[in-house]
Amino acid sequence: MAEEESQFEEFEQIDFLRDRHVRFFQRTLQVLPERYASLETTRLTIIFFALSGLDVLDALDVIDRKTMIEWIYSLQVLPTEDEANLSRCGFRGSSHIGIPYSTKGPGVLHPYDSGHVAMTYTGLCSLVILGDDLSRVDKQACLAGLRALQLEDGSFYAVPEGSENDIRFIYCAASICYMLDDWSGMDMQKAIEYITGSLSYDNGFGQGAGRESHGGWTYCAIASLCLMGRLEEALSQRELHRIRRWCIMRQQSGFHGRPNKPVDTCYSFWVGATLELLDVFQYTNFDKNRSFILSTQDRLVGGFAKWPDSHPDPLHAYLGLCGLSLIGEPSLRKVHPALNITQRAFEHVQQLQQTWRESAGSCGRQH
Amino acid sequence: MSGAEDLSNESVELKEDKQFDVEAEDNLEDDYFDPTRYMFYRDRKEWADLEPVPQDDGPNPVVKIAYSEKFSDVFDYFRALLKNDERSDRAFALTAEAIELNAANYTVWHYRRVLLQALTKDLREEMRYITAIIEEQPKNYQVWHHRRMVVEWLKDPSEELEFIADILSQDAKNYHAWQHRQWVIQEYKLWDSELEFVETLLEEDVRNNSAWNQRHFVISHTTGFSEPALVEREIQYCLTQIKKAPHNESAWNYLKGMLQDQGLSSVPGLLERVLRLKETHCSPYLLAFLFDCYEDALESSSQEENKSDEELKETLEKALEVCHLLAHETDTIRKEYWLFLGRSLKNRRGADEERS
Repeated sequence: MAEEESQFEEFEQIDFLRDRHVRFFQRTLQVLPERYASLETTRLTIIFFALSGLDVLDALDVIDRKTMIEWIYSLQVLPTEDEANLSRCGFRGSSHIGIPYSTKGPGVLHPYDSGHVAMTYTGLCSLVILGDDLSRVDKQACLAGLRALQLEDGSFYAVPEGSENDIRFIYCAASICYMLDDWSGMDMQKAIEYITGSLSYDNGFGQGAGRESHGGWTYCAIASLCLMGRLEEALSQRELHRIRRWCIMRQQSGFHGRPNKPVDTCYSFWVGATLELLDVFQYTNFDKNRSFILSTQDRLVGGFAKWPDSHPDPLHAYLGLCGLSLIGEPSLRKVHPALNITQRAFEHVQQLQQTWRESAGSCGRQH
Repeated sequence: MSGAEDLSNESVELKEDKQFDVEAEDNLEDDYFDPTRYMFYRDRKEWADLEPVPQDDGPNPVVKIAYSEKFSDVFDYFRALLKNDERSDRAFALTAEAIELNAANYTVWHYRRVLLQALTKDLREEMRYITAIIEEQPKNYQVWHHRRMVVEWLKDPSEELEFIADILSQDAKNYHAWQHRQWVIQEYKLWDSELEFVETLLEEDVRNNSAWNQRHFVISHTTGFSEPALVEREIQYCLTQIKKAPHNESAWNYLKGMLQDQGLSSVPGLLERVLRLKETHCSPYLLAFLFDCYEDALESSSQEENKSDEELKETLEKALEVCHLLAHETDTIRKEYWLFLGRSLKNRRGADEERS
């Protein structure tokens, strides 16, 4: 009798609780308690995790697309009448600066208002996930804002006021250029030099030259090169071979981000997607990966945590799902490994770009 | 690097005045003085000139954070200061309160830096301040960036190595700490004692991948890895650490990383040393290293003609044997990968054999 029970328990434990995750993301999109204060300036990234998560779950029908699209557009830093703030355009992470709510231009003059590269990236992703046509995005302003963020060494700041600069923001910039189908937003050659300069002696990528190699930064490096269409130009076959080795050695059960560190759900995506982009994800152990991810599933509130018996959060909930999607979990949509949105959303991007090219062809240069 | 932080003088400047001291205790005009009672900014008469600016998320806010009255009050006044670009001590004091509530708000930190410069604040005091904040929140990007800015302004890195060592003593793998450390060392050329520091950390934990990375960082920027005597010393060091803790990917990655460009098979005697180690201190990393040695031997020999077909065949056999061992016994989680590598190698070398 006891044996039967424990077998049943084991089955329950590896059960994927789809509905719980849908509700987790729904709640995330509503109200968060004050202890999440540190997420204020990055709320748009949280929206992205929830929306893309719901998309992966094929559950976008539970949200009101229209109101969400309006709210995202209210975060766009638009050019002022005289366009003096072009180099500061893009999307904000939230309303924390205190600009009055508005979904249309012209932009409001404010000494400290500017976009943030990761918010512009997740803002655009969120809009395409919701099926928006990006017609209200001031693309030229976004690209001008992006150009203003790139340093001499090829890396990017997050904001024009200055911040740390590293490979994460190159990835955000590459995603923005890719989605807007316009690489005038960056000096690609310099960005590539920064990326290749970040390749460590152990064949992973660090946040910059000399830095310790890490699963997250390796994803940013490889995904950026793929989006740029420069993977095989920037890296030799031998280098790619070595990078594959570094990445595949990250699997312990699930994946960790650095040698001798504990496994963490999010790396099932960061490293998994990198391996997928390098055509060797198929050689990883799907069962052990799945077991680990599901061991971090919160059976009560939904979502996933970095470790078992820890609190779930939107980032790990989203990346846990993406990790499962990579191994082909039924009922989950496929994820585009470089752009980190569903294939469905990616196809929408492609359709939009087709439309833009057609109208640019037929009636001249379009803004 | 600092961008727009040393801004123009088109800002509202207020004279330093005791009236603007925001400490609740100093409000002597209260009828009932309770030093423990917190007073909202909206009730402080020294702030009455300022109109608070609430957050405006429109009719349908998304991911709204439910702030307490105290939190909202502080930030409503922060937003008001920001709007006017006020440059004053009361503004400076408020940034500290805002930081306490949300140290990840990069706008608060930026504004604080603007004020540090506009009010020519004591940067040594700021160093003490940021030291305390980082001790509390060592995994926050903004606090480390702020420290870097202050160190740059002071042009004084003298406290950094000790401070970072202290943070690392609490978490020896903190990525922010290591990044800051590398920046300080490179910027101010503080290489001298770093190898010693690395060795101390490796003694504490030979599996600390960050410390191994730092070892490579120091050597590549000082002596370099070209001198054979130095390379031999490093090989010895690796093998010694491996004997102490065989199952340590970091040590093997370092060994391979150091030698892979010159070619693993080009290092005389290395293969033999590793094969000896295999008997007593085997691990998936050792076997993977062996495979890489064999693969390199096959690759370099296809360019030179100094190996017999027999030798090459033997090397290929050994490589495939190692793959088999890894796939089926020592590193089964990567079974498919090792089988794939074996197949690829066989196909490549098989084709070469046919050609010759």
